[in-house]
Amino acid sequence: MTGRADPAETLAYVDDCLGPEARSAFEVRLKVDPELRREVAQWESQNRAIRAAFGAPPRNALDLGGASNENIVRRSGEAMRSGDGAARPLAQARKRRAAARPIAKPRPSGPGPSARRLVGAVALAAAIVWVGLPSLGLRPPAALFAAGAAAAHALADQPVEFAAGDPAALALRLGPRLALAPPPAPGLQLLGARLAPGSQATATLYVYENLQGARVALMVEPLDEVAAAPVRRDEIDGLSVAAWTGAGYGFVAAAAGDADIAALVAAAGADDERLAEAGLQRR
Amino acid sequence: MSSVREWSDDAGALRRFGLALVRDDRFVFDDVAASALIEKLFRQASLTLVDCPGADRRAARVRAFAQFVRLYRRHARRLAVDEDGGWLETPPSARGCGSAAVGVRALPLELREALLLVVLAGFTHREAAEALDLPLAVVIDRLARARARLAAHMAASREAAVAWPQSAHLRIVK
Repeated sequence: MTGRADPAETLAYVDDCLGPEARSAFEVRLKVDPELRREVAQWESQNRAIRAAFGAPPRNALDLGGASNENIVRRSGEAMRSGDGAARPLAQARKRRAAARPIAKPRPSGPGPSARRLVGAVALAAAIVWVGLPSLGLRPPAALFAAGAAAAHALADQPVEFAAGDPAALALRLGPRLALAPPPAPGLQLLGARLAPGSQATATLYVYENLQGARVALMVEPLDEVAAAPVRRDEIDGLSVAAWTGAGYGFVAAAAGDADIAALVAAAGADDERLAEAGLQRR
Repeated sequence: MSSVREWSDDAGALRRFGLALVRDDRFVFDDVAASALIEKLFRQASLTLVDCPGADRRAARVRAFAQFVRLYRRHARRLAVDEDGGWLETPPSARGCGSAAVGVRALPLELREALLLVVLAGFTHREAAEALDLPLAVVIDRLARARARLAAHMAASREAAVAWPQSAHLRIVK
């Protein structure tokens, strides 16, 4: 099927109203049609903007690293609720909770009910499966892929904003949360960094150059409480893109060729096994 | 336990939906009234579905939202408060918020309710059609129009934000 997608079908895809088969068929078309991808990205971003504007948690928690967002919404909801309905700042609510703690009824110290133990066992088993089978369960957020590719596409060929020669000055300009020391990658020369729009927040785009003079970009975005996910490779708008998450950050490497990506991913700490899992090979 | 939590999720969703949909502060004038209305709507929806075999929480949710939409439509029609640009006051939830919220609130009621049901409340197109008591094709058409209008509004806001520093003139005040 090569024809343009029906607008109603595009809306149904964006609003998660397609059945599994129709969804798969649409995703096949999405891969080969950049115009359709742009349209879907536009509506998805609009959905996110609306949900964020009215304090709703993100619909797809994994895609947006959303467990943390949901927690933030819940926490801020707790802080904002009050007896008289008036809004109170978060810090004030925390102080009140802290003050209330000493007079709160102590919890019983004996063993909990068996149901609680059963839930604990199930949670432990789920955690073991989650950690043990990362290739089945965990993927870097799709929004991270898209944001990294878009930033690399638009900004990697632009002059860098911060020179790479002085990491201390770089850290000072970017602030402690944004500045991770950029990894030295074999065959790649670090040119510097730019600020770029990430999937959720401002990100740092480190720009490298390979021996042929082509630019390679590494986007690093701070993400609250995002689960660590192994490297995944994709191809977006002619760019080879690899993304992974860990240590509270999302990473996206983007370049024209796989070899540069592999060098960057390996420099960032991935071993050969992880590279092979993502379909990448060291140079 | 889970039903209490689900109910609370649904109530939260309806509260957010209501804040985004309603332009007139007189419809629900404070937080206590909003809580009472939401509780009443969900209780009514649950009660009416008790005798329906196969009816589930989803059906109760659709019914509660549908009832809210009907109540607000009636209020807007009676007081003529929701004509384009004819709202009385900027609701507290819209003050100081970004272009998406302002753009959503600037949409006419018929587009706003379809868009918010799907995007904010997480309804499928079919459920939205059921809640709005409209054919599915009409809901999809309204969604497409709402999205196009909102995209135009957000693009215009972005352009205005970019153009502002050049156009703004500072004046020395002595």
